[in-house]
Amino acid sequence: MKTMRWRWLTVLVAALALGACGEEKKSATATATTAAPAAAARQFAAGTTMAKLQKEKKITIGVKFDVPPFGFKNPNTGDVEGFDIDIAKAIADELGVTPKYIEALSDNRIQFLKDGTADLILSTMTINAERDQEIDFSEPYFIAKGRILVKNDSGIKGVADLAGKKVCTALGSTYEETLKKQAPKAKLTLVDSYSECLESIQNGSVDAVSTDDVILTGMIIQDDTLKLVGDVLTTEPYGAGIKQGDKEFKAFVDEVIAKFKSDGRWAASYKKWIGQYTKEDQKPPTMTLKEALALSK
Amino acid sequence: MSKLLDLLTQNADELAGGLWVTCRLVAGAFAIALVVGTFVAALRIAPSKWLRRLGGIYVETLRNLPLLVLLFISFAGLRRAGVPIGPWTAGIASLGLYTAAYVAEVLRSGVFSVSKGQVEASLSLGFSYAQTLRRIVLPQAFRTVLSPLGSVTIAMIKNSAIVGVSLLALPDLLKEVRIIAARTFETTEAFFWAAVGYLLLTGAATVVFRLLERKFAIRR
Amino acid sequence: MGYLFDPDNWEWLVTGNRARFLFEGFLVNVQIALIAMVFALVVGLGLSLARLSRNRVVRTVTGVWIDVWRNLPLIFVILYLALALPETWRDAYENAAPEFLPDALRTGRVFAALLALVLYNSAVLAEIMRAGILSLDRGQGEAATALGMSYWQRMRLVILPQGLRRMVPATVSQLITLNKDTTLVSIIAIEEVMRHGRVVTGVNFFGGVQAPVLQVFIFIGLMFLATNLALSRLSRRLEVRERRRSGTTVKPISGAEDQLAVAQVDPGRSS
Repeated sequence: MKTMRWRWLTVLVAALALGACGEEKKSATATATTAAPAAAARQFAAGTTMAKLQKEKKITIGVKFDVPPFGFKNPNTGDVEGFDIDIAKAIADELGVTPKYIEALSDNRIQFLKDGTADLILSTMTINAERDQEIDFSEPYFIAKGRILVKNDSGIKGVADLAGKKVCTALGSTYEETLKKQAPKAKLTLVDSYSECLESIQNGSVDAVSTDDVILTGMIIQDDTLKLVGDVLTTEPYGAGIKQGDKEFKAFVDEVIAKFKSDGRWAASYKKWIGQYTKEDQKPPTMTLKEALALSK
Repeated sequence: MSKLLDLLTQNADELAGGLWVTCRLVAGAFAIALVVGTFVAALRIAPSKWLRRLGGIYVETLRNLPLLVLLFISFAGLRRAGVPIGPWTAGIASLGLYTAAYVAEVLRSGVFSVSKGQVEASLSLGFSYAQTLRRIVLPQAFRTVLSPLGSVTIAMIKNSAIVGVSLLALPDLLKEVRIIAARTFETTEAFFWAAVGYLLLTGAATVVFRLLERKFAIRR
Repeated sequence: MGYLFDPDNWEWLVTGNRARFLFEGFLVNVQIALIAMVFALVVGLGLSLARLSRNRVVRTVTGVWIDVWRNLPLIFVILYLALALPETWRDAYENAAPEFLPDALRTGRVFAALLALVLYNSAVLAEIMRAGILSLDRGQGEAATALGMSYWQRMRLVILPQGLRRMVPATVSQLITLNKDTTLVSIIAIEEVMRHGRVVTGVNFFGGVQAPVLQVFIFIGLMFLATNLALSRLSRRLEVRERRRSGTTVKPISGAEDQLAVAQVDPGRSS
């Protein structure tokens, strides 16, 4: 009887130990692969954010973990991958430091920058005047368009058909306002992350999802019973989020992004994450931050 | 201070709407918890060993499962399995069934708090088993369960906030407050009003149960 | 039922790395729970003693503190601290967090989660312990005083050993609640089992076998069921052994969530 009782515990402890070993192994390989580009480090003036990050040998970047193809965690490897991550890597490489990714949700990422949880935000964040009051933006690195995603057989053809329908979008995203303006009769379902929207439209508890076309395309790649409908609702220029007032760091990020756009890495990344599925080509955006901000006014 | 009041007046509709959603959620779940809880408690004191075991399995399962997991299973999981369950049904049912396990335990311990001697005395006086239960055991049990039942209710009010943050995305008080916080960037002010809302609800439950306790207390 | 047990819907368990991925997430929950349990017990004991202090001001202030934290929804506290915790606190945690912890546990957000879990649970545990101490016969304390013991001697040698022993079942059931509540930290994007569950079920970008929501979350539920049942078994064992050793009967308290436990031990609770 006594051994019976203890068997439970033994199994549990064994399982814990097993898992712990696995964890160590994984994190060991992760650091091995990311520590490589530390060789060619640039020098920065003392006191700048860049110098601080180099001293700490890491940069913490807030990215999406569940928004393919921009930023998401691959369950097979445990790594975060995507278009945003490619840019994040470019910035970390330029500094010669290890990128550390944390998950940034739509309603907490601005807070992350303000309180220093993250040094940089690259999480499909639209540049707008409201957010510009709180943080600084880099030059736009991607131009997304606001669209509507529905099931193939839903009968919804555009924003006008959304009246009375349930539409999902993320809490704290720009689409809350957009939808209230363009489809005032739609019933909004506000969730924490877009993966919840995908689950909701797949299980039928909402009728449509509204957000950036590239995010919606990522959903279609995963589930081809979904499609985009209607006209473009909004233009959404993505920018990297930087702590308010950090001019040197913004100049540095802008420089890296400009290089990323011009030397072919942008096009390669686009093809890898979006183009190969949609069979479309796209050129790096030429819109400036000023134009992006003017859009939202 | 004026910032706090501004936030309240400017978003009064949303805050009131959120509070109302929370109230409906709590009321519905409470009804289910009482009905199912009583039924499960009856199983747990039933004369048949198998019925008792059945009740035991219900209590042990529901009490050891996180509510958030239960919400995922009952909403997204069931919908994927082809059951067209709505967010309100899933939310009220999950919260209610989860709380029912606790209610069942409270009721069971209430029944056991009546000493065996009383039951024996009653039976020997010629009361039937049903009469004994109704006349002797339940009135006394009711009195002892009131206070723990109040605690379960308060826990349920607090747990209702989990329904809003889950995939169900019901616009309850906490959700509305988070929407306001995300829009205005005034996190502390917005959350302050959520705290007030929840303390009002838990406070009201405390008062109601204390009044009931006083009403049914034995005067000595 | 056919859907539930269809082998095709369980295939994800053995293909790819998914079961392992979920289990790794679950370990993060277990670790968060363990750390929070230790601190909640220690802080809870401190609070319960302060609540019973002879100093009226200390008593009242602690009482208000306890009542506020245990009457707020835990998820509310977690969300608020995740958004509003000062930068310096997070930094301090990130610097102080020991190396042996996995990466998932060394972010400032985990600190917010741990702080919330400890604030809430220590308040609940303090009430449980207070009830345990109060449930002792007054004569015990008086006898100890008569024997010339100081306040601390009385607490350490007479009151606490007996009072806390009575509270084992209620405390354990609160710890089970704490263990369950670690799933709530998924809301502030800590990489634990619920997040991993969503990754496994939601994202199918790299192809492979689709993991169905129902089955995955039942699997997650079973992991919690197993650990929590083990925990309550352990407590029952302790209780039985204690009863045999001391020859006293401890009133068994089964099935209690937060204050319920208190109310059962101390029906005439006055606060």
